[in-house]
Amino acid sequence: MTTQQPDWQAYLAQMESVLGVTLDDARRAELQVQFSRIANMAAPLMALPLDDRLEIAGVYKA
Amino acid sequence: MRLHEMSISAIQHALGAGELSAREIARQTLEAIARVNPQIGAWTAVTEARMLAEAESIDTLRREKRPLPPLAGVPYAVKNLFDVAGHTTLAGAELFSQRPAAAADSFAVRQLRSAGGLLTGMVNMDAYAYGFTTENSHYGTTRNPHDLARIAGGSSGGSAAAVAAGLVHFSLGTDTNGSIRVPASLCGIYGLKPTFGRLSRSGSHQFVASLDHIGPFARRVCDLASVYDALQGRDGSDAFQAESSREQTRPLLDRGLDGLRCAVLGGYFTTWCDADARDAVARAAKALDVRDELQFPDAELARSAAFIISASEGGNQYLPALRREPERFEPHSRERLLAGAMIPSAWYIQAQRFRAHARQAFKTLFAQADVLIAPATPRSATLAGEQTMEINGQPLPIRASMGMLTQPISFLGLPVTTVPLRTAQGAPIGLQLIAAPFNEQACLRAARVLEESGIADARPAEVAA
Repeated sequence: MTTQQPDWQAYLAQMESVLGVTLDDARRAELQVQFSRIANMAAPLMALPLDDRLEIAGVYKA
Repeated sequence: MRLHEMSISAIQHALGAGELSAREIARQTLEAIARVNPQIGAWTAVTEARMLAEAESIDTLRREKRPLPPLAGVPYAVKNLFDVAGHTTLAGAELFSQRPAAAADSFAVRQLRSAGGLLTGMVNMDAYAYGFTTENSHYGTTRNPHDLARIAGGSSGGSAAAVAAGLVHFSLGTDTNGSIRVPASLCGIYGLKPTFGRLSRSGSHQFVASLDHIGPFARRVCDLASVYDALQGRDGSDAFQAESSREQTRPLLDRGLDGLRCAVLGGYFTTWCDADARDAVARAAKALDVRDELQFPDAELARSAAFIISASEGGNQYLPALRREPERFEPHSRERLLAGAMIPSAWYIQAQRFRAHARQAFKTLFAQADVLIAPATPRSATLAGEQTMEINGQPLPIRASMGMLTQPISFLGLPVTTVPLRTAQGAPIGLQLIAAPFNEQACLRAARVLEESGIADARPAEVAA
């Protein structure tokens, strides 16, 4: 199976429309820089297999 | 003795003995703030009338020979995201500057008021608590009192600078990803980020509900513990507060290391820092009789997950305003918030589930040690205005990366005391002393050992007026 690099530019353009945000080119470019940083962090996290019964963490119990 | 040279217990003694009045403390403190604040840019508002009224209440108790509360007459400041009755809660944002004044104090400020503290005012922060530098485009940059050309760290930079300059004995900050520990490290003071859920956050402006903590800064471990003890209390209005009993840590400090096993947290934490930070770890390890280095292999993933949760919750919170009035946003973080609002839900939920996984994995380390030592920041304070720093051979954005060593630990929700050391050049650099959930006393005791050994150095900076 091959993994294609997502087209984040297209994704962000869609999200811009879905969320009703109006951007100029400079803000769009900065948005892509910021989103790409998060996407790079998300890739290894999403590749980690988690137990399917694992729930989200709550507060600690004393 | 000058006011900043007195510990909280010394102030109590002087008040009780009639050697000092709370009004005199308030007057001296207000004068010092007026003289020094223009250089450091810490206070965004000074609550002079309230402080004098609080001082009068303490002096009335003295005159009537009634018992004084534990923080009687002690001046403090709070990050400007805590509600203070009669003042607008800014959260570092111009966006909130026209909001109505808070109707009541936040839970933490109420606790401090009933403990006798004297509120000097509210202090600067990164807008929305999103950043590690306190370079705020609207309210100005808070300067490091030890070197005015350098950053104080953030996001609770005003809180740390106020204490480091010797203007108040303690302050309150918040810590989502390192916002207490980073400025404590760069400004050379102690900080405590308690267990997630230990202290009530009610009445503070949230940034990331899943990760936000509140906590104190101080120049002495005994003062830090006294303030932490006063902040504790059950608050039914905070849905994230854990069921835990109150723990009075101040009386436990003199137990030393008795029964405490300390270890260095290696791997990621000693890789992503410079030689100064590694040297500080080595000095503390020697003083704390460390024999082991432990690893947390998931540290980098924990940092990533914390980043994703922060971006997503913060982005979602500000999305309506980003649509409505983007021009009012801090330019340093506007597109970062917007990017967070666009994160796929699968990433966010994976990050939240990974948190449970990582907590379980980290728990095994506490079978081998009670306190883990790691650098709080990759390096000492950078120059204000600098954008990148080189760590481990890589250029990293300072605003997002100064907290890369604190993020994995707050993600786990563990209690941490930050201890200030100095580099060979004399710059402050802090260490994290990390303990198991609800074991704040362990990291405070280890901090006290470092303080008594003389390795820690939290002397206030002398800032010329």
